[in-house]
Amino acid sequence: MKNMELHLTVNGESLNWTIAPGELLLDVLRRQGYFGVKRGCEKGECGACAVLLDGMPINSCLMFAAQAEGRQILTIEGVADGGKLDPMQEAFLDHGAVQCGFCTGGMVLSAKALLERRPDPTEEEVREMLAGHLCRCTGYRKPVEAVLAAASKKRNTARRMKPVAEVVR
Amino acid sequence: MFDKVEAFYRPANVREALRLLQSGKGQARVVAGGTDVVVEGDDSVRYLIDITHAGLSYIRRRGTASVIGATTTMAELEASDAMQALAGGLLSRAARWCGSALVRNLATLGGNMANGSPAADMATPLLVLDASVVMVNARSRHKLPLAEYLAGARTKRHARSLLVEVVVPEPPNGKGCRWSFQKLGRTAVDISLVNVAAGLQLDSRGRVKWARIALGAVAPAPMRASGAEQRMKGRILDQALLAEIGAEVAREVSPISDARASAEYRREISSVLTRRALEECSAHVGCSL
Repeated sequence: MKNMELHLTVNGESLNWTIAPGELLLDVLRRQGYFGVKRGCEKGECGACAVLLDGMPINSCLMFAAQAEGRQILTIEGVADGGKLDPMQEAFLDHGAVQCGFCTGGMVLSAKALLERRPDPTEEEVREMLAGHLCRCTGYRKPVEAVLAAASKKRNTARRMKPVAEVVR
Repeated sequence: MFDKVEAFYRPANVREALRLLQSGKGQARVVAGGTDVVVEGDDSVRYLIDITHAGLSYIRRRGTASVIGATTTMAELEASDAMQALAGGLLSRAARWCGSALVRNLATLGGNMANGSPAADMATPLLVLDASVVMVNARSRHKLPLAEYLAGARTKRHARSLLVEVVVPEPPNGKGCRWSFQKLGRTAVDISLVNVAAGLQLDSRGRVKWARIALGAVAPAPMRASGAEQRMKGRILDQALLAEIGAEVAREVSPISDARASAEYRREISSVLTRRALEECSAHVGCSL
C-alpha cells in the first residue's frame, strides 16, 4: 500500500499528514490525537464521530480521509476558545445535558451548525437534528432544552450588541 | 477495512474518472458521499475513485426538464429552490427522509441510485416523476429510464459506466396535480421498511385523470404499481376506491422477510402507505374523503 499526503485544516491549524489511501477520516483524526472524535457504531448511525466539514456536520466514520483534502475540519477540541467554553457547551452543562459525554461532542457540533443555519429553530428542528446522535444516558429532553436555550441566548446577545440607532429604528 | 486500497484518485472530470475506472480492471470502486461504499466495506477494493470533484454537483434546467448531477447531496436537494418548486417539492421532501442530517450532508442522489438498494428513498419519487438516468462509458453516453437502470443496478451491467445525472421531465402541472412521499422506518432516520411515492390529478368533478404510484423495499427493485394506477383512471376518489387500490397494491408487491420486517407486514404497510399517499394528494385539492 502506498501512502499519500493529506493537506487540511483542523481547528484552524493548517496540517500535512501522511495517510494510507483507504483510511477513514475517523481513524486518521484519532491517530493524530483528536480523541474527542468518538468511535461508536462505525456505520453512520450514532453520530459520536461527528465533525464539522467546512461548517457542515458529517459522520467522520463514513468519509475517506483523502476526501478531506483542502477542507476545514472542526472537532470538539476546537470549539472552546482557550479556557473559555463555547456558549453551546455552557448550555449543555447548565441544562444537565451531559452524562457520560460520549455523544456530547457530536451533539454540540451539530447544534452549533444548526444555529448557524437556523438562528431560531423550532423544537422539531432541534429534535430532527439530534436524530443523528444517539444518547443512552440522559435521553434527549435535556439536550433539546440546552440547544433551544443556547439559541435564545445567542439571539438576545446579538440583539444587545446591535448599534442603538438600529434598535430604535 | 479497505486495507488493500493502493490509490485514492480525485478525477477533475468524467473522462478522467472513466479512464481510471477502465484501468482499475474491476478492482476500482467509485465513491462520492461514501455513506454506502464505506458501510459495505468491500475488502477487495484496490482503487478508490472519488467523483465529487468531477463537476457533477448541479441542479439545472435543460429545456423543460430538470437535470440533477449525480454528486448532488441530499442536503442540497432539500435546500434547492428549484427542487422545492418541482412537483410540489416532492424530491426535496423525500431527500429529508434519507438518513440523519449528518448523512444527508454526504449522501448523493447518484449514489442512492447506483447502490441499487430496493429501499432507496429517492427511487420511488423519481419513478413517479418518470425520471431517467444518463450513463456514460468510454464509448458512449446514453439515457435510460430509471426503472430499467434500477433493475440492473446490482449486476455487472453498468460496471464500466458512470451514472452522471438524473433527468426529470417536466411533470404534469395542471390544476389539481398533487404529489406525496410516505415512508415507514423503525426510527425517523432508519432505512425504509416500505416507502411510497404517489402523484395524481383530479378533474373538476373529482375524477382521477391520471395516477402514479411507486413502492420501495417491497420487491427486488423499487417498482411502479401499474395495475393500481390503471384502475384509478376516470374513477371518483372515495374511501371505496382507496380500499380497492390498497388491496390491489398489496397484490402487486413481492416483499421478503428480513431482520426489519416480515413479508406480511411489508405487504400490509404497502397498502396503508399507498392509501395515506393518495389521501395526502387528494386532501390538498379539497377532495372530501
